[in-house]
Amino acid sequence: MKGDYKQVIKLNNIHKKFGDLHVLKGIDEEINKGEVLAIIGPSGSGKSTLLRCINFLEPPCDGDVHFEGKLITKDSKILNSYRQQIGMVFQQFNLFPNKTVLENITMAPILLKKYSTEEANEIGLALLERIGLSDKKNEFPSKLSGGQKQRVAIARALAMRPKAMLFDEPTSALDPEMVGEVLELMKSLANEDVTMIVVTHEMGFAREVADRVLFMDEGAVVESGSPKEIFTCASHPRTIDFLSKIL
Amino acid sequence: MDFGFLVDYYKFFISGTSNTLMLSFITVILGLIGGIVLSIMKLSKFKILQNISGAYIAFIRGTPLLVQLYIVYYGLKDIPMFVAGVIAMSINSSAYIAEIIRAGIMAVDKGQFEATKSLGMTGAMAYKEVILPQAFKNILPALGNEFIVLIKESAIVSVIGLHDLMYNVDTIRGITYKPFEPLLVAALIYFILTAVLSKGFGVIERRLQASD
Repeated sequence: MKGDYKQVIKLNNIHKKFGDLHVLKGIDEEINKGEVLAIIGPSGSGKSTLLRCINFLEPPCDGDVHFEGKLITKDSKILNSYRQQIGMVFQQFNLFPNKTVLENITMAPILLKKYSTEEANEIGLALLERIGLSDKKNEFPSKLSGGQKQRVAIARALAMRPKAMLFDEPTSALDPEMVGEVLELMKSLANEDVTMIVVTHEMGFAREVADRVLFMDEGAVVESGSPKEIFTCASHPRTIDFLSKIL
Repeated sequence: MDFGFLVDYYKFFISGTSNTLMLSFITVILGLIGGIVLSIMKLSKFKILQNISGAYIAFIRGTPLLVQLYIVYYGLKDIPMFVAGVIAMSINSSAYIAEIIRAGIMAVDKGQFEATKSLGMTGAMAYKEVILPQAFKNILPALGNEFIVLIKESAIVSVIGLHDLMYNVDTIRGITYKPFEPLLVAALIYFILTAVLSKGFGVIERRLQASD
């Protein structure tokens, strides 16, 4: 079906250490265009660190990140232009409290893509319409619920028209009744073939939406495969053990 | 108590107050600029800048303003008293303001830096649009306090003969042989200045609370 994947991000032997702690022990992965990759695993397995290594919020200690075939380095020009094409959504939303909802979304396009305020507002209002928060455009983030904040955070990342989106446990900080609205939005993005890498504890989402599921433990990829392969016939004992605990 | 001297000498109070205000105002501006520069140096990744700024702040905060004032006044020969007062006060307050600003920047949530980075913004954009506006809001009470301290401490420049409020009050005390009453007037004027300033800061704080 999606056989003609074009590679977007390629990770080559990624290592990350915090002091003596070896958090990532050589990760090799490829993420293709339009693919939805779900990363699951126990806490401390390194899945969030891996995600943060992809956009260099945590620069890898060793190994390469390639974006559309180009090597990404710490050089600020290369890095900033790369980050502009990779959106990120955080567990704690990290909306800018000193900006209104609309400004949160339009700031990056205005500053980085040199859009006029009118052009950026047009994009911003369209995104707000899409996430169903047009009436909140002039509110400050503090006036929003958790689910609304996360939807705005997703819109903020989308406003840069990124080629891939990284989600770092986007629903973990939400009250249970607000998880659905965020997952719903993410699902609709997946259906539009947005390339997504999602670190998540939502097994239902991983099973239903992901094209591929990656199970990590102790800084390494233990197993990866289609949701069906992982959730119904995992082969590795650690995967089986983890899934038996949470499903 | 007799305040009859006010009729003859009220002009001394006015000119003294205006000198005190001018001195404080210029010092606030220069102190703020110096404080921003010092705090950015201290937060930079370059060890040398960190150390220079750290040593400066430690030395200034560890020595009396009176000594600093004398060092500036007698060290830089042939400079006008007013300039000496401004320089000494600015050197002094910039060290305190630097620490206030640094604390304010460090109090901004780490996630805010990460969000700007993840969007591909440069450090300068992040500071201007996101970090400093939030830091400014954090530090406003402390900054207001520092400015109030500055107005009060400025009385010290009277020792080098700068005709600020305190100096003029001393003059009146000498001329009129009334050592006490002029001091009450001085206290009242200082109090009015600081009270107005602190009210003003209260208003700004409440305005900035709009986004909470």
